[in-house]
Amino acid sequence: MSDKKVIEVKNLVKEYKELRAVDDISFDVYEKEIFGLLGPNGSGKSTTINSILSLLKYSSGNISIFGKEMTPDAYDIKRDIGVIFQDVAVFQELTVYENIDYFCGLYIRDKKQRKQCIEDAIELVSIGDYKKFYPKQLSGGLLRRLNIACGIAHKPKLIFLDEPTVAVDPQSRNSILEGIKKLRDDGATIVYTTHYMEEVEQICDRIIIIDKGKIIASGTRENLKKLAKIEERITVEIKKMDKEKLEGFKKLEKVTDVSYEGHTLVVSFSGGKNNIANMIDHLRNNNFSYRRVYSERPTLNDVFLELTGKELRD
Amino acid sequence: MFKHNYIYSLRLMLRNKQLVFWTMAFPLIMAMLFNMALSNVESSEKTEPVRIAVVNDDNFKNNQIYKEAFNELSKGDDRVFDIKYTDADNAKKLLSDEEITGYIAFKNFKPEITINRNGIKETIMTYVVNEITCQSNVMIKLAFNKLSDEISNGNYNNIQKIFEEQSQKAFNGEDGIKTVTPKNMSFVMIEYYSLIAMSCMYSGLFTLTLMNYLMANISAVGKRSTVSSARKSGMIFGSFGAAFTIQLFGLLLLYLLLIFGIRADFGSNVPYVILISLLGSAAGLSLGTAIAVLVKKSENAKFTVLIAVVMAGCFLSGMMGITMKNVIDKNAPVLNKINPEAMITDGLYSIYYYNSNERFIVDAVSLVIFSAVMLLISLRGLRRQRYDSI
Ligand SMILES: Nc1ncnc2c1ncn2[C@@H]1O[C@H](COP(=O)(O)OP(=O)(O)OP(=O)(O)O)[C@@H](O)[C@H]1O
Ligand SMILES: [Mg+2]
Repeated sequence: MSDKKVIEVKNLVKEYKELRAVDDISFDVYEKEIFGLLGPNGSGKSTTINSILSLLKYSSGNISIFGKEMTPDAYDIKRDIGVIFQDVAVFQELTVYENIDYFCGLYIRDKKQRKQCIEDAIELVSIGDYKKFYPKQLSGGLLRRLNIACGIAHKPKLIFLDEPTVAVDPQSRNSILEGIKKLRDDGATIVYTTHYMEEVEQICDRIIIIDKGKIIASGTRENLKKLAKIEERITVEIKKMDKEKLEGFKKLEKVTDVSYEGHTLVVSFSGGKNNIANMIDHLRNNNFSYRRVYSERPTLNDVFLELTGKELRD
Repeated sequence: MFKHNYIYSLRLMLRNKQLVFWTMAFPLIMAMLFNMALSNVESSEKTEPVRIAVVNDDNFKNNQIYKEAFNELSKGDDRVFDIKYTDADNAKKLLSDEEITGYIAFKNFKPEITINRNGIKETIMTYVVNEITCQSNVMIKLAFNKLSDEISNGNYNNIQKIFEEQSQKAFNGEDGIKTVTPKNMSFVMIEYYSLIAMSCMYSGLFTLTLMNYLMANISAVGKRSTVSSARKSGMIFGSFGAAFTIQLFGLLLLYLLLIFGIRADFGSNVPYVILISLLGSAAGLSLGTAIAVLVKKSENAKFTVLIAVVMAGCFLSGMMGITMKNVIDKNAPVLNKINPEAMITDGLYSIYYYNSNERFIVDAVSLVIFSAVMLLISLRGLRRQRYDSI
């Protein structure tokens, strides 16, 4: 990541009749970073992306890309952009190879150069075995990979990915995420939207969290996690528990919250170094019969919960 | 960009089974069905004369051309009509008693046909009377030219003679006008003409499909091409060109079948037949473009709209029998003035029948105007733009 700005969004507002889908959003994206847009369904992620791309009319705001104002006919800017839309956008009548060739050909005329680009894209998303397949013969995960290949074959400097992993099995998802990291390592700047916080945690360098069209937090992963009041969460499987005994856990050092549900005890800590040791001591001293004990770092879901009072995924 | 889009558009169309069926296979199938149904009709029905009545009032008595024509047509063994000359009331009664197929009354020198249903005999009757009307118009024109020549030479005396001479010539097939019997031309020819018209208009399905692919507010692939750095005009021309190519190929197949398989006759003016086919196809392609842009519904809904519009146009322009075209010409002439299929059918018809170009030119120009209007109203939707919602 460098300090060169690739995208500048200033005070973007997009209104549909009654609804403010994007409500005064501003942010910058820097060169060679993976920039995450995290938010629940309907929070305005796609609307933001489509506005940046000049596909949507927005009510107000300024958008510039590569230091120039973005417009529907800014061909020089568009030349260096690749987009993977939320909906799979491929032709049913064309094979995997032809689909990539068609979309790549909208950017690159030279046939030889294009051929190389297509091979690279196919390799990146590993669909080499399916070149002659038609989209309807592909599984959901493979189709998503083709969708990505169509968007990045022309080797864009700036790539938008709008929920590229929706409804994809974990194996395909990992392959996709690894591919995206590789694109970044090869020098591309990436804007990645999702409502899966795990993905954002796994690959994003900087993140904004949006809810109801507003940015509610932004920063690096570590910065954001500080926003959650907890630093550690310990989960214990316990057969039986009564109210009095539950109260007992609150007396442990740095405990912020205790809950028991479905044979599972969850205790949150706002800090502390020896929480797990303290916890086990407490369990032993009080003769609890417990099974598994494990400790977690806070997630972005905790951040979201802290800021909005609701879970990221409802 | 033109070439890239052109080549891929060809693939997209040829691999779309639904599209290939409607645009290429369907007209061929219809042609064969027509041929089967109509060749039976011609051989069995033509031998038997059609019984009609003519209202024998002053309007008719003063109408030399029709009098002669009817006379000719009800003579001999292979006569077309058995004619009863009677008054209006009796004609009406004969028709309601089903003694006759229909009757003809004259108003302002124009024949008005009254029939009760839409069958083969009715079609023959309408067709033949139409023929007489068309030819009498040509005749009058020729006579007029001759007369003005005579008058400019100071010769006022033999007006009647000139007129008779001209009609004689016309009936004998001189000056290139054909005689008015179904022997000379099959009365079903117009059905094949309207089949060509249908095939032209179905080409709209090609542009409908391809333009949908280019619009970001309609298809996902449209979003992709819209955010690309390719110029939109190049993509549109590529698609349009590919659609035109495939359309002409399909039309060629239909012509080959009609000319060599079914032996339909399109007259001898080949350049005009080609011209009207090109213009008709352009009208179809631009209609498809307009529906793609203007109908804000799913792709399937648009497909259905276009097919419905084309079939309605076919029906009105006489595919299911020329009587329909007559009803429209009589009661709602505007409809056939804006119906591109009527323009194409009429254009082919006029190539076959008339020496004069006027009617053909009107049809050709109408098609150009129709296409231009369709494209103009589509332009707004095809421009590269920011959408209110996608
Ligand atoms: N064409 C439209 N007309 C009216 N409202 C719309 C339209 N498109 C989107 N919206 C509304 O705008 C809001 C933001 O939608 P958007 O698609 O940007 O959300 P998102 O964050 O991408 O959600 P998801 O995770 O489901 O993709 C939603 O409330 C949605 O209902
Ligand atoms: Mg979305």
